[in-house]
Amino acid sequence: MENLDINTNQLAETRNRIIDAFIEHVLETGKQPVSVYKFAKNLGITEEEFYHYFTSFQGVKGAVWDRIFDETYATMRAQEVYQAYSAKEKLLSFYYTWIEVLKKHRSYLLALYEGHADFKKITPQEVRSFRENFKTFAKGIILEGKTEGEIVDRKYISDKYDEALWLETLFIFQFWLRDTSVSFEKTDVAIEKSVRLAFDLIGRTAVDSFVDLAKFLYQSK
Amino acid sequence: MSSSQPEQDHIPTSKVQRASKFIGTGAKVGGNYIKHYAKKMVNPSLSKEELHANNAQDIYASLSELKGSALKVAQMMSMDKNLLPRAYQDKFTMAQYSAPPLSYPLVVRTFQKAFGVSPEAKFETFTTSAVNAASIGQVHKATKNGKTYAVKVQYPGVADSVTSDLRMVKPFAHRLLNMNEKEISHYMEEVEEKLLEETDYQLEVKRSTEISRACRHLPHLNFPVYYPELSSERIITMDWLEGDHLKEWLQTNPAQEARNQIGQALWDFYHHQVHNLKKVHADPHPGNFIVQENVTLGVIDFGCVKVIPEDFYRGYFSLIKKDSLLNEAQLNQIFFDLDFISDLDSAEEQAYFKGVFKEMISLLGKPFHAEAFDFADDAYFNQIYALGDRVARDKMFRNSRQARGSRHGLFINRTYFGLYSLLNQLKANISTTKPDWLQ
Repeated sequence: MENLDINTNQLAETRNRIIDAFIEHVLETGKQPVSVYKFAKNLGITEEEFYHYFTSFQGVKGAVWDRIFDETYATMRAQEVYQAYSAKEKLLSFYYTWIEVLKKHRSYLLALYEGHADFKKITPQEVRSFRENFKTFAKGIILEGKTEGEIVDRKYISDKYDEALWLETLFIFQFWLRDTSVSFEKTDVAIEKSVRLAFDLIGRTAVDSFVDLAKFLYQSK
Repeated sequence: MSSSQPEQDHIPTSKVQRASKFIGTGAKVGGNYIKHYAKKMVNPSLSKEELHANNAQDIYASLSELKGSALKVAQMMSMDKNLLPRAYQDKFTMAQYSAPPLSYPLVVRTFQKAFGVSPEAKFETFTTSAVNAASIGQVHKATKNGKTYAVKVQYPGVADSVTSDLRMVKPFAHRLLNMNEKEISHYMEEVEEKLLEETDYQLEVKRSTEISRACRHLPHLNFPVYYPELSSERIITMDWLEGDHLKEWLQTNPAQEARNQIGQALWDFYHHQVHNLKKVHADPHPGNFIVQENVTLGVIDFGCVKVIPEDFYRGYFSLIKKDSLLNEAQLNQIFFDLDFISDLDSAEEQAYFKGVFKEMISLLGKPFHAEAFDFADDAYFNQIYALGDRVARDKMFRNSRQARGSRHGLFINRTYFGLYSLLNQLKANISTTKPDWLQ
């Protein structure tokens, strides 16, 4: 039992060492290491050992994204006021916390993604797990919004809401990457406005009332 | 070769400047609004009042969407438009009260950026929704150790976007004010400078503290205390002043005596600033004042402060003497100094403009000509409006290539028009004091 503990501890430690060393390398050189072999050698582990933790550098990058998500989620939930937030405010809170966490890794992220083609078309493999985490979170607040009446349930369409919010997340990330305003104030504004738009769209709108009326007229013919 | 020629003998001019620097931008705006919209939206079934109301609503709706500086411009227009029909006036002053609020998470973020902690950590209670919207921010109510505070939080990105926002306003202004590109640019530059100052909350705290200290001795006036340690570039914390906004207070039908008292406090406040401090709160619109217990006037916003240069001050205010007290040579000198007329004008032009300016001056200086003045006199305001409209339509002004009026005049005029208009709304009878050198 005790042995196993030490073992998992050691495993986690080595895993963290790999992630840290990878970030370090990107920060220092502006690109990811040329080969796993060289990277492992510098770290003082064998290539084989590396594969024990990750299958490729992509996996390491994914782990960095996971770290970012975990930190965001934990920081956000640590705020007392968070529980009292509405669905919209929870999403806002997530984004504001998120870009604060992103700020700590800005150089790393810029090095990897600045020249990257449109994220919406080809989302890098390593962001997948972050996306799943986010979508789980989004589903939670959408469900909450629906019960509170903040979000309208629409056949077929409302199943895609989490996907839509993910696209917004990508938009914010790319906006932030290009943002040069003092303390990223423009990103704040982009978040504020895009979330308001998103909730205006998924909340009750004129279209719902229109559909409602049309249905009524059709049925009472 | 020929392309550079026209540029040389045409000095770029500003219609706003030349026509209305002196009489206040309002005059110009007033004339054009009506002309433009009466022409464009002729609908026989609409009464004129309705037409104005509708237009104002449309314009307001588009401007309030823009927020930030655009909202500020709407406000300035509402200020400057003292000569506009009532319907516009009411809609525009609404800009002060209802803008889409900032989300609470963003307020939290602003606090964290400024102090590293959330609002709840700085105060015992803190309202999660705004209790009031200011032009470039919103006000939250907070308490700590039994004291109540007003905490003003600025919209993020306002300072950054002032310039680009103003660019967005240009097409509106173009349509609304019937001005051309060059003229708008000229007007916007002056506005931009003041707007950028207004986004600097640290400067505002400094100035507020300064001016309120210097004016504290005046009767029936009250100022909140400002807390620099609880303020930052984007946050201002001050005492919460209990009371009604001026407009709300007027709806309670206060007695003439009370209205006079508030009006006099307002007059004394401006008198002291202009003539003694030479630094003036250049934003006298109803939203910045609160009427408190014992008919005391609370002053709550020092965003826009204009410093009055000494040479401008002398020239400008010597004009408020009665005509008879100034001889022709003196008057000419002042007109030259304040850029109302220049050497580039023909003798005929000089004579014409002097005539018009004299008329304006005697009209605008009227409250100063007696010991007391009754601002309830609507006829007086109609006269100003009529003159403003006439100037706006005037051929000589339109064709003049010369900018008229010193640039400092813009904010001083705005201040006095704002003050006159507030006193008119108060229907107050004021003892119109003058500085000693003008007696």
